[in-house]
Amino acid sequence: MNVYFKKAIISFLALIVLGTAAIMPLAAQAKPDPLALLKEIDRLSDFSGKDFSAVFTIVTQKPGEKDSVTQARIFRRDTKKQFLILILLPEVNKGQGYLREEDNVWFYDPTSRKFSHSSVKENLQNTKAKNSDFTLSSFAEDYSVSSMTEGTLGKFPVWILDLKARTNEVAYERVVLHIRKDRTMLLKREDYSVNGRLMRTTAYPKYVELDGKLLPSQILILDEINKGEKSQITMTEQSVAALPDKVFTKAFLEQVSR
Amino acid sequence: MNVVLPRIAARNLLRQKKRTVLLAGAIAFGIMIVTLINGFAGSFIQNVSENFAYLMGGHVFVSGSEYTASGKRISVIRDDSIIMSALSGSGQTWSSLAKTSQASATIIFEGKSIRQNLTGIDLSHSTMLRQRLALVKGSWEDAMQPDALIISQSVANKLKVLPGDKVVAQLQTITGQNNVGEFRVAAITIDSSFVGSIMTYVQLGYLNSLIGLKPGEYMSLGIMLDRLDRSGKVADALYTSMKGLGIPLFDRVSSAQESASATPFQQMIREQNSEKWSGTKYRVYTIDDVLSQARQIVVALDTASLAILIVLFAIVMIGISNTFRMAMYERIREIGTMRAMGVQRDEIRAMFLYEALFLAFAGAVAGIVLALIIMGILGLISFDSQSPIFLILKQGHLSFYLPLLRAAANILIIALLTLAAVYAPANAASKMRPADALRTVK
Repeated sequence: MNVYFKKAIISFLALIVLGTAAIMPLAAQAKPDPLALLKEIDRLSDFSGKDFSAVFTIVTQKPGEKDSVTQARIFRRDTKKQFLILILLPEVNKGQGYLREEDNVWFYDPTSRKFSHSSVKENLQNTKAKNSDFTLSSFAEDYSVSSMTEGTLGKFPVWILDLKARTNEVAYERVVLHIRKDRTMLLKREDYSVNGRLMRTTAYPKYVELDGKLLPSQILILDEINKGEKSQITMTEQSVAALPDKVFTKAFLEQVSR
Repeated sequence: MNVVLPRIAARNLLRQKKRTVLLAGAIAFGIMIVTLINGFAGSFIQNVSENFAYLMGGHVFVSGSEYTASGKRISVIRDDSIIMSALSGSGQTWSSLAKTSQASATIIFEGKSIRQNLTGIDLSHSTMLRQRLALVKGSWEDAMQPDALIISQSVANKLKVLPGDKVVAQLQTITGQNNVGEFRVAAITIDSSFVGSIMTYVQLGYLNSLIGLKPGEYMSLGIMLDRLDRSGKVADALYTSMKGLGIPLFDRVSSAQESASATPFQQMIREQNSEKWSGTKYRVYTIDDVLSQARQIVVALDTASLAILIVLFAIVMIGISNTFRMAMYERIREIGTMRAMGVQRDEIRAMFLYEALFLAFAGAVAGIVLALIIMGILGLISFDSQSPIFLILKQGHLSFYLPLLRAAANILIIALLTLAAVYAPANAASKMRPADALRTVK
């Protein structure tokens, strides 16, 4: 064989090997660890070590009905799995509240002055939002990743994570997350029923920065079963200022409800 | 027996017709009110129990509870063969058995939705359901389909569905996961009551698949008896039989053992909430255990009626006492004449007491008769099945049951109170000296 030809082949092979070696790390960097991605999403909403409070305004639209507005002030202490949701609007429901202590969620009605058991899985008042939408997310703990693919959402390249519930006590058996590639931000979430039907689509079009973390300041929830019904959630007055311990007590809820 | 005094007493009453009618009328009014309350209370518990047994599909129930791996408590009966053995071994008879599961769901159709309680039952073989539900549209043949749904007329009107329409039901599994099912409207039934209108029936197998139960599993076994009053006895026998087979059971607290603060059912739930156990633990309860608060209402009604009786008649007795005092002064010369003729003091007293007794009996009997007439008239009124009071009615009508002993007791109380009211003036009349009585100018 011609020497030059041999050298050309060797050079070509070397180029292939070196090129592959160069590309592989890049490829490895381009596709992150899905579990790490989930943990990062959880971390962004985790204010453990601090208290979190904000006002959420939820506008719910149902076909054939007037838009309803619910406004609630939320207090969270993630280290102790505590939250308090105090309803501010509508006037007729003002004073109602939800209090979470560990695994117990209580609903308080100031009219009857009674507490009754509720759940993080229940809808907040008449909206499409669930109580769990306002609490610490726990995707990494509750779900395992079935698959991770790439896609685009509008103009943003996204990672599409298909999640399966680790236990049969998580609200949705399957969840699909669309996470921005360039900056870890959840843009869209799809919740599926136990038998695989799409039940809810949640979009996160706007974010604000708080204490070095990105929080969605606007959330749009579409009911995929009741077509046409949706809720838009807007967050304002967000703060990580310390809250007194008494805020996460039944007595406080009774007191502010008067 | 001396019949002269009672005859004189009766004549004296008839002599003063207006006064007698007024006094007897006051007594009659009070007795009428009390009798109506007693009659209503008498049938209240019976009607509520029968209506709820009809809605819940049984007089005696068995349900199971167990903890999931994460500590969540769920209601399930996984293997009922041992329960059936216990039932056979209890020596009791029953009309029918109903294996059911329940789930709260939002039923959606073309943009309209309504919250309903889905009861999963074997629609294909449930004779009890076929007897209870009157179909307006659709058929029992269509109800045999796996995705069949039977709804009440009011729900069908709200959703604007007809037999053959497909609806979606949003519900949660027994562990709280969200799920969606599709059903086809098989039949529409007449609303049995406003409670019955929130109950929708589906096939047990399909509902179980949606809520996370396996084939053969279910939540509650309902035992329908031929008579409601057997429920306590049957429940006790079943409990004993189950205990004998070594089945883990919650203590059975019967209606007789209930405390003031909690019904038997509430005590069972409290016990369940405070305990931890492994495997499935069962509870046996009756419709009366669930509704024993209704029994407390009856006790409250009876107590209230007794209080009303006493208060009302205390007021009436004051009037009777004053009236008899006036009557005594009016008849003072008559009393003096009778004494002068040899009638003794105790006979004078007895005469007045006889008058009081006859007044009381006449008033009481008139009151009871009036109450019976009013009960009859009220019983003719037909109430709408959607009325909130439908549960206390018997087939849409008010019903009354007055135990004879209670009526007799009321009459006795009235008689005693009247005698007590009249005793003082009667005594005063008997102590009059004939000469003084004859000398008195009115």
